[in-house]
Amino acid sequence: MATVTTPATPPARAVKAGAHLSRKKRLFWPFAAPALVLYLAFLVLPTIATVVLSFTSWAGAGDTPEPNGVTNYTQMWASDSFQYAFRNTLIYVFLGGIGTFALAFLFTMVLRDMKGGKIVRAILFFPNIVAPVALGMFLGFVFKYQPGKQGLANYVLEGLGADAAKFLAPSNVTGVVTASLIWASSGFYITILMAAVDRIPPYLYEDAELGGASPWQKFRNITLPMTWDVVGVAGVLWTINALKIFELVFVLAGPGTYAPPNEAWTLGIYVFDRTFGSNGTPDFGAACACAVAMIALVSVLVVLLRRLMRRDAIQF
Amino acid sequence: MSVTDVEAPPRPSPKPVRKPPRKPRPAPGSKRFSPLRVLGSTIVWLFTAGNILVLYWLLTASFKTPVEIFTKPFDLPYQWFKVGKPFRNFIYAWNNAGFGEAVLTTVVLVGLATVVTVAVSAPCAYALTRLGVRGSGPMTNVVAIGMGVPFQTVIIPLFVVLSKVHLDNEYGLFVLYVALSIPFTVFLMTGFFRSLPDELEEAAALDGASPMRTFFSVMLPLTRGGMITALTLNAIGLWNETLLAIVFLKDQAHFTLSRALFTFYGAASYQSEYGGLIAGVAIVVLPMLVLYLVLARRIITGLTLGAGK
Repeated sequence: MATVTTPATPPARAVKAGAHLSRKKRLFWPFAAPALVLYLAFLVLPTIATVVLSFTSWAGAGDTPEPNGVTNYTQMWASDSFQYAFRNTLIYVFLGGIGTFALAFLFTMVLRDMKGGKIVRAILFFPNIVAPVALGMFLGFVFKYQPGKQGLANYVLEGLGADAAKFLAPSNVTGVVTASLIWASSGFYITILMAAVDRIPPYLYEDAELGGASPWQKFRNITLPMTWDVVGVAGVLWTINALKIFELVFVLAGPGTYAPPNEAWTLGIYVFDRTFGSNGTPDFGAACACAVAMIALVSVLVVLLRRLMRRDAIQF
Repeated sequence: MSVTDVEAPPRPSPKPVRKPPRKPRPAPGSKRFSPLRVLGSTIVWLFTAGNILVLYWLLTASFKTPVEIFTKPFDLPYQWFKVGKPFRNFIYAWNNAGFGEAVLTTVVLVGLATVVTVAVSAPCAYALTRLGVRGSGPMTNVVAIGMGVPFQTVIIPLFVVLSKVHLDNEYGLFVLYVALSIPFTVFLMTGFFRSLPDELEEAAALDGASPMRTFFSVMLPLTRGGMITALTLNAIGLWNETLLAIVFLKDQAHFTLSRALFTFYGAASYQSEYGGLIAGVAIVVLPMLVLYLVLARRIITGLTLGAGK
């Protein structure tokens, strides 16, 4: 899963080897080691441990893991809660992703030459600095359904003469979370895409305007090809972030103290509920299997995305 | 001439600030009416207005009684002001959620963790980009892949091991915060180091500076902008971090803010203390809002550099 490509260090330096260069190279390990050791100890090794433990039956701390082959995976796959979690996570990644990027693209079309665009960008970015827990609680009040004490959304609906909706009922919550995700995260992707759009030489747009191109044509033939690489990176970031969504759903769909109803689960909630959640019996082996499913899903989706997005770079 | 005198062309900013060329007026007749454009502008403005409305609602609701919150969502707060206790919700949240201790814990924990993260990551990023060691490129990629690992994947073994050595507390959390912030920070900093010109290092070397000195007196000061960005982004991320805090913090006296808010949510929901809850949300969100208002430009350039390169 090659998320990033790093250009090799300029060859010029490799040529003029000398005392100074070797002294420089001696600096490498003292400089790089602390970060690399921490990385190895807290990310690489635990990931390997999780993979190994996913093939054991293990109730949790105090219990000894016993190898049991792929039982965790088959049981997990057959369980309702995992099916829901898997389905919802895919909905968030794909539906949320399509919505977020459609919105972001629409905004890039408009924001490029709009007055006050910078302020609009800053305002749209704001939900991204709010803690997901706080965001979940906040949205919980907005979408609250309780006749006579309606939340903001239902208040507006009733004001418009429509019926109040049970937004947070288990069957509706996935849709509400998808919409909330699109709302909350679009600012981040708009910011990234707009930074790329700002680098496009303006004469391309002027030329297109002289030729009478419509906004869609300008987007299709200038903006999209010129920002393709950044769109790819943004897509990878989206996949990574949407796949581990946890706090927002946990707080929004449930009572906050224990896991929400199965229908609203995500893979992150599945792992949490099987391990540290206060509701239900811990099953660390199954949780490890789900954690492995998460990282496998990230890898597969990112590799696929990079494949799909690959094309020759445009120099400008 | 000593090393410190080496002149760096455009001083602190890691990327030369380039002013966009003046936008020429559109050619006559080119601004045609376009339904897509009208739709787009409408959505942009509705969206922006919606965000402002939501912020307004949050701020006013934190001063309201539950009845006011749900029956008069757009009005200015009234009831608590009338009884002369305008900050009643904030006081309630502060006392009942244990925010007083949580603020201290969070500030110390997040502050130390971000500083240590950058202190560990900056030399690593420098080593990976500027020392010309074989294999640096692939190694950078390996570190960057770490950004894609969900916390859920590492949390189980880490919890078991750390609780065995009795580090399932704020000290263990500190180490975890540092370690798990490294991939992103190293990746971000490599972008900044790579953008520096080679000539600076060469000039420092010609002046007889040791590689160590070159790093500390020439290269590191030049990436000050990058370091501030890394500090800010990590501070926001860790301030908002909840999953690890839920798993590793058991003692209420050492909760972080987001952790305290999480517990408070369960308790206060039962008592329908909606005013207090919203005030709690505001207490967690407002410091980040201030930080964002002060540093918005830097946060956005940092993200862009991280993603755009």
